[in-house]
Amino acid sequence: MTDKERKWKCGKCQKELVPQKVIFTYLGHTFSHDVPSCPECGQVYISKELAEGRIAELEEELEDK
Amino acid sequence: MKLEEATAYTEKCFHGEPASCSYVCPFHLDIRSFMARAAEGKWSRAYKQLREATVFPYIVSVLCEQPCRTRCQRTLLGDEAIAMRDVEAACVRYVKNKKPQSYAIPPKKERIAVVGAGIAGLSCALNLAQKKFNVTVFEKEDTWGGVLRSHARFAEFDEEIKLQFSAVKVDFRFNAEITSLEELAEYDAVYVATGADGEAFGLLDSWNAELFSTAENKVFLGGMLTGASLMESIAQGIAASKIIEGYLQTGKAALTPDMYYGKECCGRYLDHEGAVSKPLVVASSPDGYTEEEAKQEAARCLQCDCDKCMAACEMLKRFKKTPKMIAVEVFADTQNNPPFSTRSLTRQAYSCNICGYCKSICPENVDIGSLLQLSRRVRMNDGVHPAALHDFWLREMDFATSEASYTAAPRGKDSCEYVFFPGCQLGASNPEYVLKTYAYLEQKYSCGVMLACCGAPAYWAGDDKRMADNLQRIRQGWEKLGKPVFIFACATCESLFAQFLPEIRRISLYELLAEDESIIPARPFAEAAVFDPCNARGDAKMMQGVRKLAEKAGVAVEELKEKNRCCGHGGHIRVANPSLFEEIAHNRTAASEKPYIVYCVNCREVFSLRGKEAVHILDMAFATGNSDKLPTLAEKRDNSLEVKKKLMAGIEGKDFAPEKHAWDDLVLLIDDETQKEMEQKLISAGDLKEAIWLAETSGRKFVDENDGMCLASMAKPVITYWVQYREVKPKTYQVHSAYYHRIRIREEE
Repeated sequence: MTDKERKWKCGKCQKELVPQKVIFTYLGHTFSHDVPSCPECGQVYISKELAEGRIAELEEELEDK
Repeated sequence: MKLEEATAYTEKCFHGEPASCSYVCPFHLDIRSFMARAAEGKWSRAYKQLREATVFPYIVSVLCEQPCRTRCQRTLLGDEAIAMRDVEAACVRYVKNKKPQSYAIPPKKERIAVVGAGIAGLSCALNLAQKKFNVTVFEKEDTWGGVLRSHARFAEFDEEIKLQFSAVKVDFRFNAEITSLEELAEYDAVYVATGADGEAFGLLDSWNAELFSTAENKVFLGGMLTGASLMESIAQGIAASKIIEGYLQTGKAALTPDMYYGKECCGRYLDHEGAVSKPLVVASSPDGYTEEEAKQEAARCLQCDCDKCMAACEMLKRFKKTPKMIAVEVFADTQNNPPFSTRSLTRQAYSCNICGYCKSICPENVDIGSLLQLSRRVRMNDGVHPAALHDFWLREMDFATSEASYTAAPRGKDSCEYVFFPGCQLGASNPEYVLKTYAYLEQKYSCGVMLACCGAPAYWAGDDKRMADNLQRIRQGWEKLGKPVFIFACATCESLFAQFLPEIRRISLYELLAEDESIIPARPFAEAAVFDPCNARGDAKMMQGVRKLAEKAGVAVEELKEKNRCCGHGGHIRVANPSLFEEIAHNRTAASEKPYIVYCVNCREVFSLRGKEAVHILDMAFATGNSDKLPTLAEKRDNSLEVKKKLMAGIEGKDFAPEKHAWDDLVLLIDDETQKEMEQKLISAGDLKEAIWLAETSGRKFVDENDGMCLASMAKPVITYWVQYREVKPKTYQVHSAYYHRIRIREEE
């Protein structure tokens, strides 16, 4: 089963994840993005695809700044 | 930081400086780039360059005595020097448009008198007229040319002079002899170029050969009048025009920086390794080179410029910056105020192996590695370093200097004459390397042991504080043991001790082993190449010791063409630049077809992972087992603790109980593919156990109810780790994937 087919629920609140605005920081830079999170406790889900794709690119960009 | 602090590192680099031929050229023509253009048949650009440097390219191509040929480095290969004048002549012949350019600059009001219409006066007058000064040339004869008029080819030279003056306005007054400078009182500057034995108005004694100035403030002298040759006369006229221009602007005669090299020879001849001998191209016609012949002859130019470091180092090749550019960027990066400006050097600063190879091949010992290490240190001290790039190794260093560290005198003693310092990775790689070596040393010498870290991870991260704290710990341990001699198995440890703890006496383990007749090493191969680690450079005793052991084993040793090159591990560049690391590792792996004998466990790991047969010299000396299998990151830590446990039991009879964590009892099932991926990403099973334990005890995880798959994350201070797993049975989990990111989610903070 691929990551996209999975139906992740928050292990604590048993809620299905919904896209929510999440604030990220790295090397003094702050930015926000809509990421699936638990609507109740706010636990944020970062998929492998996102971490090793767009996030990795962004990290490299900010490190080079 | 001051600019000079960075540029001092590259001050002696002479890349980009004029070649030996240009120094001796009266015009200081950049012959290297002229030849490069000519070789490609770019006659227009080559001609433009020649015209700008010499003013009268045709005359120069006929009459120059070519002192450049006496300094042509082609002759070092036994070839004839480049036929400079013939290539110049071809350039003048094959260029399509020789019409001089007229510059769109506003006319100037100053008036300049040039006395003498010989070649010296003409070159000065032409240059000043191009700058739109009001130039009047006084000539006592009825035409221009001076001594050239008696030359058999004057008709051609006359055409050249006409051509070059065709785009400027100059007031020529022939049959106008100047007998006194008072006649020129109305002019703002005067250039006297009246030829050999010409009128000098009594100013020769006060003539300044560099500035062409005289005791008369506004009067300048040049040309054959001052004893110059024909070519020097042209060059002087050009140089004087620039000085006069400066004088008219500032009231002072001064050298302009672009025209003066200060010496006739650079004194820097290159070794031209790999350059092939090429005979002079002989013209097929008495009229000179055909276009193709001229291109071929120009292509014989060796383009003499030192680029040794940039040609040899994969990192420098990739970033395409000269050493001097890097120095300026190291400085410039410290002047930025984040987040408003861009740091241009970060990736490069953290992509250097700091292996010292550039320095070792540089004729001037310029050390780019030290310069980039400085950049890392400054960033760390300023708190603007990308911590994730070195976090893994700094955590490993912290482990090696705390839980896994152990210092002891030999059994029953408080002090010792020697202490074995295996370095943090030797025992991690294979406990037997340390245990068997220490068993041997303990028997033979009064030898204690110090399990610690030399500080390389802190050094490479630019972490001065961690480095200093670690040195202090080592120094204290050394003093406590009665200041013994350190025995090193790792070249990096030994080189860092040499640099930072020079008071401690050092000896290489391999030198000791090689001296012992009773050691007969195993013979894993009939033939092998010794791969010397970068940090063994200059340590002849260590390098020789390994060779002696290999020879004693009966291995025919091949010497690599390039010695002490970094395997890729140095400088911990792997996270900062994975593809560069891979390229370097690949190149070193392919440096010889023969298997390698190594004496650095990091080198061995790099090669083994790439399928290269590589045996550690200790495998040969002590017939250690289990050397084919590389331990995982978690196993390395376990190995380090096992070494400590066994040594402590043997020396002190004590049982070492490693720190116990609640997650230690968890069992992780990891298939080979996932494990390989984890190793590549530097994710340790130890961290995953902790993440799973945290998730299972707190419930903070994601769950897929369809199949019970779980996903948990754990934010360590620098890196956030993620693990997807499923419980197989109580306390046993199958790991499906692991990944990480460096950015922080706000809730983590």
